[in-house]
Amino acid sequence: MLLEVEKLSVEVEGRTVVRRADLSMGKGEIHVLLGPNGSGKTTFLRAIMGLPGYNIVEGRVFFEGRELNGLKPHERARLGIALMHQNPRPLTVKLSHLAREISKRYGTSLDVLGDFALDSLMEREAFKGFSGGEAKKAELALTILQRPKLAMLDEPDSGIDLESLKLVGRAINRLAEGGAGVLLVTHTGAVIEYLRRVTMAHVIVRGRIVASGDVETLLEAVKRKGYEALARGEIL
Amino acid sequence: MSFLEKAINAGSTALYLQRNYEIVRQLLAKGLAERGFILEPLSKAVEREWVRKLLWTALPQREVGLSGAFVYVPPGVSLRAPVSICFVVSEGVQEVHNVLVVGEGSELVVLSTCTSAGEGTMHGGYTEIFLEKGAKLDCVIIHSWTTKTQVIAETGVVVGEKASFNDVYISLKSPHALKESTRITVRKGGSALASTLYLAGPGSSTLETVVMLEGEGASVEVNSKIVATSGSFVSNPITIEAAAPNTRGHVECRGLQLSSDSVIVTIPALRSARGGSRLTHEAAIGKISEEELAYLMTKGFSEEEATSMLVRGFLELGLKSVPEPLKPQVTSILDLMARFATA
Repeated sequence: MLLEVEKLSVEVEGRTVVRRADLSMGKGEIHVLLGPNGSGKTTFLRAIMGLPGYNIVEGRVFFEGRELNGLKPHERARLGIALMHQNPRPLTVKLSHLAREISKRYGTSLDVLGDFALDSLMEREAFKGFSGGEAKKAELALTILQRPKLAMLDEPDSGIDLESLKLVGRAINRLAEGGAGVLLVTHTGAVIEYLRRVTMAHVIVRGRIVASGDVETLLEAVKRKGYEALARGEIL
Repeated sequence: MSFLEKAINAGSTALYLQRNYEIVRQLLAKGLAERGFILEPLSKAVEREWVRKLLWTALPQREVGLSGAFVYVPPGVSLRAPVSICFVVSEGVQEVHNVLVVGEGSELVVLSTCTSAGEGTMHGGYTEIFLEKGAKLDCVIIHSWTTKTQVIAETGVVVGEKASFNDVYISLKSPHALKESTRITVRKGGSALASTLYLAGPGSSTLETVVMLEGEGASVEVNSKIVATSGSFVSNPITIEAAAPNTRGHVECRGLQLSSDSVIVTIPALRSARGGSRLTHEAAIGKISEEELAYLMTKGFSEEEATSMLVRGFLELGLKSVPEPLKPQVTSILDLMARFATA
């Protein structure tokens, strides 16, 4: 198994945001995590990445059989876990320098950036003054540059135009075809129609994973009855 | 083949290396002397009356001998390959007086390096720069000192009518005591851009810049970036004075504190003695952002590596105009500064 999350509970600023969540996924699989605003999707990813402030109070996380609890974010990244941040904050580093350093770290070629049309942004401070779409593309490109075994993508499809949506879809497909596991958080589900296949979807409501299954079935259920009905077990 | 000879073959126009009071190397590319270019010890240059008359006109007079370099570019000569000047102090006191004259309409690129190789040394560097009408000088100054060195560096620059002065001062390793003072006078239609990147280690540093916008339409931009590590105290007063109409000046000073036992004092001051000038300043002191650190750690960089990247970015983003021929050297120096900052 690539990733195994067992009964994970996560606290942020003393408040439990994720409650006893379970999730398993293998190499080359695409898993979609759906949920309303504030349901704990981002916290779930950040806790797996080991970001400070996201405290695991219960449960364990395994990556390729190795327990991650206690490892720092950079140690997890070097194992092959990458997090695409939802809204990266502006950095005091030029995008070109950041990209070069990441490609050196992971032995990857900067050619992979070619698809993302970032030329006009490369000599600017990373993410400073970028439009929503530019920031998403740049952050996704940097994530791919890490050549991850597990790519956790936090809402890569929010606030971007149709062309960019197709680009994001193609990039996710390529990641999975290359053997990476993709854990995709989506608020709108907009990118799903551009994915060749989704292994499984999970719905998280108020920190609990309340349903897992086929993505089309779950999306349809959410559209018909809403997340709360799923949480109450009224559907499925 | 020595390092310096390799450098001149690699494209430097001329080289001058002085260790203590001994001139170790003095090389000039072929054909330059025939075009009227002069690189020689100041002690020889003062045999010309016009050179003698220039001494201590851009700086207050000091009791300093004639050890140092003299560079002269005749009118209408463009030298875009860098002239390299290097001073090393390895024992006792080294006091040098340098004079650079760039003739009307000429262009020059200079890489100046000062360093100490011993402990308990003292370097006093006094440099006068004269840019005649329409001249252009790009200057990168790199300092790297051993800890137990005292440094006094005074630079006086006269930017002539419609001339352009671009100066990048980089200090890789600071001494335990430094007083650096730059005075720039900008005449009618002239422009100056002065950038400082200073990595401060234990000790006290004063970096003072005073710019006088003396002629109508003169302009200046002063950018200063200071990174303060443990035990450092840095005072950075920068003054722009507008004494003529239609002048423009901007000061930007930023400090990055990597340690709670460091002190940065930024003192931007503007003085307008004539209407019609536009003077502005910005100043900020801060520390490394925890959020930026956390982001970089998710990309696989340790806390130390991430800090180093952010320091490099802070410094690099302050550089507005590095002369093209010197970009590789400056890039290497930035990498070193970032590494030293977290060492």
